[in-house]
Amino acid sequence: MLTTLVALDTDLASSIALRYACQMANIVKMALQTIHVEDADAERHSPGTGWVRRTWEKALLTTGEEEIAQLIQAERSSCPRLPATKMVLGDRDEEILRELEREPYDLFIEGMLYTYSSTNFYKKIRSRLYRNASCPVILVKNLLDLSRIVLVLDSTVDPSSAVRTFLKIFKDAAIDLDLLYFRFQDDGGTTRQEDTNSDAVLSHAGKLLADGGQSPKSSRVIQGTPERLDELFKDYGLAVSSMHHVTHKKSPLGDLLYRIPSPLLLCAP
Amino acid sequence: MRILVAVDQNAYSAYAVDEVARLARNTLANVTLLGLSARTDSPSARWTRDHPLTEALNNYRESFLAHFGKEDSPYVSQEFGYELIEVRKGVWEQLRVCRGARKELKTRMRLGAPVKQILAESQEEEADLIVLGCSAAQMCAWDKGARVPQKVANDAACSVLVVKEKKAGNKIVCCLDQNTTSQESLEMINQMVTLHQADLEIVAITEGDGRGLKIDVTRKMDSILKYYRDRQINPYIKVVPLSSLEAFVSEEARQGLVALWMGKKSILGRVFPRTKVNRLIRASGSSVLILR
Repeated sequence: MLTTLVALDTDLASSIALRYACQMANIVKMALQTIHVEDADAERHSPGTGWVRRTWEKALLTTGEEEIAQLIQAERSSCPRLPATKMVLGDRDEEILRELEREPYDLFIEGMLYTYSSTNFYKKIRSRLYRNASCPVILVKNLLDLSRIVLVLDSTVDPSSAVRTFLKIFKDAAIDLDLLYFRFQDDGGTTRQEDTNSDAVLSHAGKLLADGGQSPKSSRVIQGTPERLDELFKDYGLAVSSMHHVTHKKSPLGDLLYRIPSPLLLCAP
Repeated sequence: MRILVAVDQNAYSAYAVDEVARLARNTLANVTLLGLSARTDSPSARWTRDHPLTEALNNYRESFLAHFGKEDSPYVSQEFGYELIEVRKGVWEQLRVCRGARKELKTRMRLGAPVKQILAESQEEEADLIVLGCSAAQMCAWDKGARVPQKVANDAACSVLVVKEKKAGNKIVCCLDQNTTSQESLEMINQMVTLHQADLEIVAITEGDGRGLKIDVTRKMDSILKYYRDRQINPYIKVVPLSSLEAFVSEEARQGLVALWMGKKSILGRVFPRTKVNRLIRASGSSVLILR
């Protein structure tokens, strides 16, 4: 059984992420553990010192616990019984990273709504948390039906890690899988010179899946700009891709992953 | 619900009537088809059967009714017939009855400035929704360049749907003002989604750099999402800062129907004053729904 850590804050993104995680737990055998990190040094708080601060921190955690309990209670009808939420005080990314290192989690899930600017998206996937997470991460943007999954590849992605991650999580699940190779082509029709090995990449991914006892329902190349292609993903409950190149700089694949409405499963290279 | 459809003799009006008929099938709304004629016509003109507007209205009425079966149309008076009616407990008697139309379909004409007449009719009839068609090719103007849809959208007290002849995309982008969203407006969007088998995108508006939603906005969005999920609709969510909303809406309007909540206290009113609503309606590739 997989063990999954779900990060919760008192916001809409977390509500959606929790619901998605519970939906996933109905399809894949996994145990959920929720965590909430209260940032004591956030601007809105007034830090004190000594026992004053300790008392205040305790109150902060209690308030956070109540709010998270309300969020979980609201999802009670769709969620299995959850263990008590781990309540931690500190820097959010650092504490979650610490928790991922402390326990052998197979997956980390959190929510993030699509925002008009891609800045927050790139900031998130370039964060220390995402770069150093010991397990794959699901970034939930929308609550979508998890009956179709897509593996998103391009010339920079080695399909091995994405396929390996997919098989580890979904091997026994009855889910349709499509393979998509993304080739960036701007509106002027220019294709990058090195994007000529789509067939090889798709074939390699198909073989890896077959070795794992799975076969994709379809396998194809899509080309264009992220702005024009994001609509193709609206029926996918999850898009799987590799994080490596996306964390280094803005890239067409990064822009595509930012724009698509599906939750993202990002695995280490 | 009462829908007022303002029509003239052009093809886009026929398209608007068609859209309303489909909407009425789901909502069983009372409908008024309002033909408009300028005062340049002779004041003593009689609306003869072969008058172009009369003919158009007749065609629109028939086209509307064609969406409903003859036997179960809620807009057609049923004929006299015999029915078994329970006259007292356990006793039924076969009586001759006449069932009237369950819903109203009125056909009217008004003479005068179109915008003024449409607004007057909507007030008298207490319309919940005004529907007008227009052609994207003509920058959404009516005959002689009259900006009827734009003016009605700006000045009506109720919701206004401007139906573009050419439909673009299968998406409805809904910019809801989370503070004052009404049940009726949520239901209207629900109907549009069902009618067009469209995806629904709900846009939460933030003030500032868009990093986070306020608690009350979050709660409202959550209840809106729950409303649609209970109706088997899974909306996509986007967060857009107020400062970028105009650019965002202009982009989205090229691909799908845009619905804007423009109630009196709506913050969208700040982003979309009259001139910008005009521009949006003119430039949009698909229909625009102004919710009030």
